[in-house]
Amino acid sequence: MRGKKVFPYAASVALVLIATLLGELVKRRLEPTNIAMLYLLAVVIAAVRWGKGPAVATAIIGVLSFDFFLVPPYFTLTVADVQYVFTFAGLLAAGLVVGTLASRMREQAIQARKREEQTAALYRLAADLADSAGFEAVLQAIRKNVREIVSCGVAIYLPADGALEIASHDPGFPASEGEKTIARWAYENGSMAGGSADEATGRRTRYLPLKTPQGAIGVLGLCLRKGAEILDPDEEGLLNAVVSQAAVAIQRATLAEQSRHIELMRQTEKLQSALLSSISHDLRTPLVSITGALTALQENDPGLDDATRQELLENASAEADRLNRLVGNLLDLTRMEAGTLRISKQPCDLRDVLGASLEQLRERIGDRAVRISIPRDFPEIPMDFSFMMKAFHNLIDNAVKFSPPDSAIDIGARVQRDAAAIEIRDRGAGIPEGDLARIFERFYRAEKTQGVAGTGLGLSISKGIVEAHGGRIAARNNEDSGATFVVTLPLRERQDPA
Amino acid sequence: MTIDQSVRVLVVDDERAIRKTLRAALSSRGYAIFEAATGAEALEKSASSHPDVIILDLGLPDISGIEVIREIRTRTKTPVIILSVRDDIADKVEALDAGADDYLTKPFGITELVARIKAVMRRLLPASQEEVFRAGALSIDVARHEVSLKGRRIELTPTEFDILRLLVLNAGKVVTHRHILIEVWNKPDDMEGALHLLRVTISNLRGKIEADPDRPIHILTEPGIGYRLRAGD
Repeated sequence: MRGKKVFPYAASVALVLIATLLGELVKRRLEPTNIAMLYLLAVVIAAVRWGKGPAVATAIIGVLSFDFFLVPPYFTLTVADVQYVFTFAGLLAAGLVVGTLASRMREQAIQARKREEQTAALYRLAADLADSAGFEAVLQAIRKNVREIVSCGVAIYLPADGALEIASHDPGFPASEGEKTIARWAYENGSMAGGSADEATGRRTRYLPLKTPQGAIGVLGLCLRKGAEILDPDEEGLLNAVVSQAAVAIQRATLAEQSRHIELMRQTEKLQSALLSSISHDLRTPLVSITGALTALQENDPGLDDATRQELLENASAEADRLNRLVGNLLDLTRMEAGTLRISKQPCDLRDVLGASLEQLRERIGDRAVRISIPRDFPEIPMDFSFMMKAFHNLIDNAVKFSPPDSAIDIGARVQRDAAAIEIRDRGAGIPEGDLARIFERFYRAEKTQGVAGTGLGLSISKGIVEAHGGRIAARNNEDSGATFVVTLPLRERQDPA
Repeated sequence: MTIDQSVRVLVVDDERAIRKTLRAALSSRGYAIFEAATGAEALEKSASSHPDVIILDLGLPDISGIEVIREIRTRTKTPVIILSVRDDIADKVEALDAGADDYLTKPFGITELVARIKAVMRRLLPASQEEVFRAGALSIDVARHEVSLKGRRIELTPTEFDILRLLVLNAGKVVTHRHILIEVWNKPDDMEGALHLLRVTISNLRGKIEADPDRPIHILTEPGIGYRLRAGD
């Protein structure tokens, strides 16, 4: 620290020395008054490089050296000609004024640079916070930026279950009970608190309350290295700006987290109640037919003719199938909810997948015309055969359900840049515009579908499967009649882990 | 039903209701039924009751169904049909690789089960190359290398014929990808490339022998596992 203060003055003396030597070289040929300019130059240099103090020193030493070495009689401070007194006064005054001006310019430049650095630091923090998705990321961003400003360890204390605890901290940040007590004091009193220096490392901690208009929402802990415990006013100001920005960001992240949590709970609750009502209704309905048929046959009522028996059995069997499908759908849905849907992609022949879906639906489709037009050289698509078969099954089943029994269903496919677009088009009544956006929601069934058996699960499962493949699904009404469902699947694997 | 009275079926499932249903449905068709509720019991009865076919549930309370298959395969070639729940493709493939002959996904119809039993038991009959496979308008004479659809002769490439022959010899039974790759190309190492070749060949084959190649009724795809030629008339 001392070296820093002494050096400019030593350098000033050196500058005067150089000016004097140069003056010695030319003093035979030039008037001493002109040589005074050399000293003026030295003053300006000292002012620009080292500020006001060294500039004044240079001016004074310069005048004395000028008199002593360059103004006759030499090597004495006495002056032969009175006019040189004016030269001295002029040199001194000019030196002082120029020095002051130049040093002020330097101060301003330094200030401007500091402000720029601070603005940049605040901007970086703001940008990092804007990029941070989620609570953890916000805390990380704050720690990183504060560390860059004060280059020390950072910890963030936040209240959890009524007590203030460390929510995020740099490795090695002291977290003893004593430190926590200081942090809590800062939080409760809303003012800065400092810990004592650690005996081993000489580190010292400081705790700054994260203040918002609603009061302190936590504490920012800094661990300062030995000797760096005193921050200069600029750093202090920047730190305060950062702290208030951090406080607002944390508050906002906390609120976002809370509202997300509430929304999730609300969704879960809604899903659960829908699930319960669906299960109680849709699982029981097939059981009514099955139990009814079985008990009727059990009683061996002679009034039952063979045709009726056969009908009862066929109906029970169909209902058992429906029950099985429903259970399967509920299982898939649960897996999607739990995020345990395991998609294993393999290149697949789209025609083969569609063929397998149609084979499963053979009885339901019956004699209906299903026209498939896929170019012979259509590329293979990376997909999970079983799951995509299920997705197409649901879409084709949907088309069968909601269009007249004698109308055709068209399935087509084309390549769209890096994706395959598969279209399933029916000639039914279409989908009411208001329902278009909602038909892929769980348990959602359009108004007029009430007479058609179904659970409102099929389309949402198809959507879940397609999205798990990194694809998209959409529905639109045709210009003439019916609706078209479009499934878009990426033809190339993305870089993200499968 | 022209099933020999002596066909003996060992049903292995820990659910009593399932054993009961299978016993009732199969006995009435002339099968002799033996039951086992655990893996240990299955291993014991697979030796003591000399079954002709074993129907094995994969989810047993004591040892895994896969282990049971491996153990049975060290001693006998008795056909094994697995009963499994849907979606566990990896389990099915593992069971088939371990030596199981076919699988059925629960719930299943009795007609389907009987068809599978007949298909897996054909493996034990002396290789009947003389027989001509007929299904609908399709007829395949393996010995003479002749395939015809609606009476018209169809030209197949050697690879197409090899695959079709393998499917005919296993008619009604699932044939795994691995099995086809080993039998037809004799190289199970380059799985990715070979699988692509297999898909293309199957697609071409369907183009030739299916009335509507987009909705195949003969060569069926078993997702993630292999192919099955639907049993003939």
